[in-house]
Amino acid sequence: MARRQWTSGEADRAEFREERRSLFRITVAPTIWALHFAASYAVAGLTCARLADDGPDVVLMRLVIGAGTLVALGLIVWLGWRSWQQWDASDEGRRLDDQPTSRDRHRFLGHAAFLLSIVSFIGVIYTVLPVLLIGSCL
Amino acid sequence: MGKSRGLRTFAMILGPGVLLSACDGPQSALSATGADAIAMEGLFWVMLIGATLIWILINGLIYYVTRVYTGSLSPRLAHGLIVGGGIIFPLVVVTSLLVYGLSAMPEQRAMGDGVKLRITGEQWWWRVEYWPEGADPANPPVAVSANEIRLPAGSRAEIELTAAKVIHSFWIPALGGKLDMFPGRVTRMSLKPLSVGVYRGQCAEFCGQSHALMALNAVVMEPGDFDAWLKAEAQDAAPPKGYAATRGAEIFAQQGCGACHAVRGTPARGGVGPDLTHLGGRTSLAAGILPMDREALMKWILSPASLKPGARMPGYDHLEREDLSALATYLEGLK
Ligand code: HEC
Ligand SMILES: [Cu+2]
Repeated sequence: MARRQWTSGEADRAEFREERRSLFRITVAPTIWALHFAASYAVAGLTCARLADDGPDVVLMRLVIGAGTLVALGLIVWLGWRSWQQWDASDEGRRLDDQPTSRDRHRFLGHAAFLLSIVSFIGVIYTVLPVLLIGSCL
Repeated sequence: MGKSRGLRTFAMILGPGVLLSACDGPQSALSATGADAIAMEGLFWVMLIGATLIWILINGLIYYVTRVYTGSLSPRLAHGLIVGGGIIFPLVVVTSLLVYGLSAMPEQRAMGDGVKLRITGEQWWWRVEYWPEGADPANPPVAVSANEIRLPAGSRAEIELTAAKVIHSFWIPALGGKLDMFPGRVTRMSLKPLSVGVYRGQCAEFCGQSHALMALNAVVMEPGDFDAWLKAEAQDAAPPKGYAATRGAEIFAQQGCGACHAVRGTPARGGVGPDLTHLGGRTSLAAGILPMDREALMKWILSPASLKPGARMPGYDHLEREDLSALATYLEGLK
């Protein structure tokens, strides 16, 4: 039975505030992917159903989705970079986060957020491949 | 033991071989002759061979670590295997398949630039209408036919699909992919057959009792032959030649066949059943289930429902044999 290490109430609260924030942060990259996915399908669906199968409307639709994709990818890269740093918060050069300490918990959340950013990055690319490779609504 | 194992190996090699040899013939996606079917056949083989190699690799590894080398592996190697084999390799494979598959799609959905067809799924036959290259499909079709499509080799035909009452699906495996036909909605596809020949299609969406008996032939012709054929197909029916055929035409009129069937150039204008104007020129009877000959025609008119359960055509078993035969002569002569 490991004994808990109690710190003062002040420090606890500060730590929880920070962890709550990084707990929230790990969901941001997948959320960006989900929003990008929904928005891309909505834009493509509306263009193809209401406008033309081919021509300038489709070019515009591809540009809009392309721009949205760049924004989404930029945000995900930024989040990935931040969580990478959070994961490697120590100066010891080790990327381990398996100890029941608040520092390792902090790192673990960075680790998880980093992996989720990679998955979200790939997800966004997969979502947008049809726009890249298929030039019309047909 | 040794013998039975040898037998098993033999069966394992032979089994798939026998199965694959059944994939030949006029209705097979594995003997593709249309541009779209050829692309899909390529995709199929790439997937099959790739999946087989991966299967062998994975099972080989399992065999290796459970039977051949049962010592411990270094954590570095294990970690590398998980990241390399579990993340990077599938990522590369899935991404390349996605790019390969997606880049094949625009061609599959390309607009046709030649003849236009509209095919309507009926229970259990196909209504087929043609517009020549460049014609406006808002105009009436130049030719109406049924239960067979003809296409010129080497150009991409535009095909509109719809259905009368229930959903059907149009599929000629040797030429291209399948697409559903919906009542009240028009879907489109295009086909680019490359070699002259007769291929078989089949309704691919359950549409009732005789769904399995709803097939059709696709006849791919040289472009010149096709143009000549379409011109002839647009003509009215040839008047009956000879005593029997003339007698057959009379019976056709007397029996009221024209209430359901059209024979252009005669008073028969019905639209409930297939257009019979050039019936005798088709390669099969009753949506691909019978040969186009006198025998089959007589059997069909006598009792359609015994050949195709539920067929929406009454039987004419009250007709004398001579009358049936005359009717068949007349219909067979409608080239
Ligand atoms: C109540 C309408 C109706 C009447 C009357 C009728 N038919 Fe039909 N006929 C059909 C329908 C519907 C089909 C298609 C059946 C199927 O394949 O499921 C058909 C199919 C056929 C076919 C096959 C067509 C093809 O494309 O292969 C022939 C031939 C034919 N009928 C001849 C006749 C003759 C001859 C008569 C009169 C003696 C007649 N029919 C009367 C409805 C009718
Ligand atoms: Cu069917």
